[in-house]
Amino acid sequence: MHSNNILWIVIRRMRTPLLVIIITFSISILGLVLIPGIDNNGHIYHMNFLDAFYFVTFMASTIGFGEIPYEFTYAQRLWVLFSIYISVIGWFYAIGALVTLIQDKKLISELKIAKFSKKIKNLKEYFVIILGYNHTTKDLIQRLSADNKRIVVIDKNQEKIDELELENFIPEVYAISANIDSPDTLRLAGIAKRNCKAIIVLFDNDFKNTKIALLARLLNQKINIIVKSSTKEQTEHLKNLGIKSIIDPFNLVANRFFLAISAPNLWFLEMLIFGHKLDIKDYEALPKGKYIICGYGRMGKALRESLDKANIECSFIDLKSAAHKAKKNSAIFGDAQDYKELVKAGVKNAVAIIAATKDDLINLTILRAAKKINPDIYTIGRENTIDDITIFNSAKIDRVYILEEIISEHVHRLVSMPLAYRFLEELHKKSNDWGADLTKSLKSMTNEDIELFEVRIVKKEAYALTKYLKNGGSINLGLLARSLGDRSKRSKIVFLMVKNRKEEVTLLPDDNYEVKVSDRLLVASTQEAREDFELIINNDNELYYILTGKELRFGIYKFFDKIAKKGDK
Amino acid sequence: MNAQKVISGFFIILAMTLNFGFVYGDINNFAHHSPYELFAAIVVNFIATVLKLGDKTQLGSVLLATSLVADIQLIASAIVWAVSLYVANHGIASSAQVIVSLASGALLANIVSVILFMGDTLKSKR
Repeated sequence: MHSNNILWIVIRRMRTPLLVIIITFSISILGLVLIPGIDNNGHIYHMNFLDAFYFVTFMASTIGFGEIPYEFTYAQRLWVLFSIYISVIGWFYAIGALVTLIQDKKLISELKIAKFSKKIKNLKEYFVIILGYNHTTKDLIQRLSADNKRIVVIDKNQEKIDELELENFIPEVYAISANIDSPDTLRLAGIAKRNCKAIIVLFDNDFKNTKIALLARLLNQKINIIVKSSTKEQTEHLKNLGIKSIIDPFNLVANRFFLAISAPNLWFLEMLIFGHKLDIKDYEALPKGKYIICGYGRMGKALRESLDKANIECSFIDLKSAAHKAKKNSAIFGDAQDYKELVKAGVKNAVAIIAATKDDLINLTILRAAKKINPDIYTIGRENTIDDITIFNSAKIDRVYILEEIISEHVHRLVSMPLAYRFLEELHKKSNDWGADLTKSLKSMTNEDIELFEVRIVKKEAYALTKYLKNGGSINLGLLARSLGDRSKRSKIVFLMVKNRKEEVTLLPDDNYEVKVSDRLLVASTQEAREDFELIINNDNELYYILTGKELRFGIYKFFDKIAKKGDK
Repeated sequence: MNAQKVISGFFIILAMTLNFGFVYGDINNFAHHSPYELFAAIVVNFIATVLKLGDKTQLGSVLLATSLVADIQLIASAIVWAVSLYVANHGIASSAQVIVSLASGALLANIVSVILFMGDTLKSKR
């Protein structure tokens, strides 16, 4: 379809130049044939068509081999003079048209589309489609690329695509600029392909998100649609469409905030799932007492709900960033009137203040002002764009919620580790004590960084184990957790969750759990233990050792064993 | 009246008539077949081909195909002419039949082209 378009563009543009060439050439040739010349012997002759065509061809292209077959008469020269002007001009016009054609914007874009669609066609691995290139999706692409995921990006804006191409992501991210909400574009990006796993729609505009989600659902029933929604109504609406992966950033922040304040151990586990460092400083624990929320937008409301749920008193300063900027004519919070407002809200006896407006600068200045009045107050800030991270870092705020980063983290987990995401959902149903036990056992296991990974018991990911299980063998998790160095010891490994073939999950399966083919395991371990575990499930010899405590002998070693046995006798 | 229709119709029909003019006559008598007429037939056929370029319809594609067939046949006949006269040097008389029969093939293609063109014109309501 697209290569055809290219052909049509070329043909249509080259029509006139071709006509000009044909006409000028034929006039010149005809004239040369008709006008009589004189050969070397003084006889009159007529040039034949072959000579004439030959002569005009090299004349028009300004190669100019000279007068053939005999020197021209003046009558012939007059004609050639005329022909030179018409045919050379015609020839140059055609070449000029060809050059402009190469630079033609429409042609270039068609060529790009053709190249892109060829790449998508040849893409054999699983891939995800990301719509729009911005701070959030850039962060997301970096995370997914680190997991070797293949990504296709579409953005309306060519400049954004150029920016993306300069980033040089590895593996290559296929990107194109096109109209995002048209079905043709989505199809071009490969949404109907079998190996397209998910489409990620994270625009700020909820209406746009829903429209694209619906479109994607219609184009591919099986695909996982990950879509952002910032209001409850919208979320409800999306759920009715049958979309399961809905990212509501305010809800996510509120949830995390709630966990941090009411169940610090669960919060700790959640942070572990997202790959944060585990040594938690004292100042990271949220204090209990009176809270102040500045900015009562979607974020403020969501936070209030979680504070109410945790039975914590709070008061509000209803601050709208846009209105504030219009009124004060500056993006700064902190004149005398603002101070008064803070004091009125009770900043002097509050333990924490949350700045949750849409404007990063206002958030920063609110927290500064609060700190001036009450130096002991715990400051929590909302950071809207990842770009401002250095300012927030240097402002020494106790806790920062970066909306874009939280969105990107969640989508990353959803795509690259769906089991971990499921674990997170289960986690939210558990009590703090449950979390305390798990946290304690993780902490007592190791001081090192803990890695999280997913394994599916299939031939591709667990060669030896799958083979063993298919041959009727059975093994439990306790055995799999043994150390390769010494079978009697346990490696530093914890099985967090198992999901079996029927999609049933078991949280923290015990050592007696019998592993079955196509189970999925979510594992937390040190790097060393992970390497051990992967060797055990993939290597026949290592698995044999774990099962029996003996080395598997093969080939020439078996022969030596036989000799040794004979010797014993 | 559609100027584009006049121009393309003119060249398509002229291509056929010139082609016929060249082919018409005793196939064994080369005096009946003028080289100028073959030259004119080739040039006009080229022009007709270019005029047919860029029409995306089904009919446009078939019209283009007939023109391409005619072009190839006429060029082949011109090449045979040039080779027998200047390269092989055995005179035109022995190849006359080949040249004319190649051109008659082109004539058939041109006739098909004109019929299609007329059919399209009759069908059009404007």
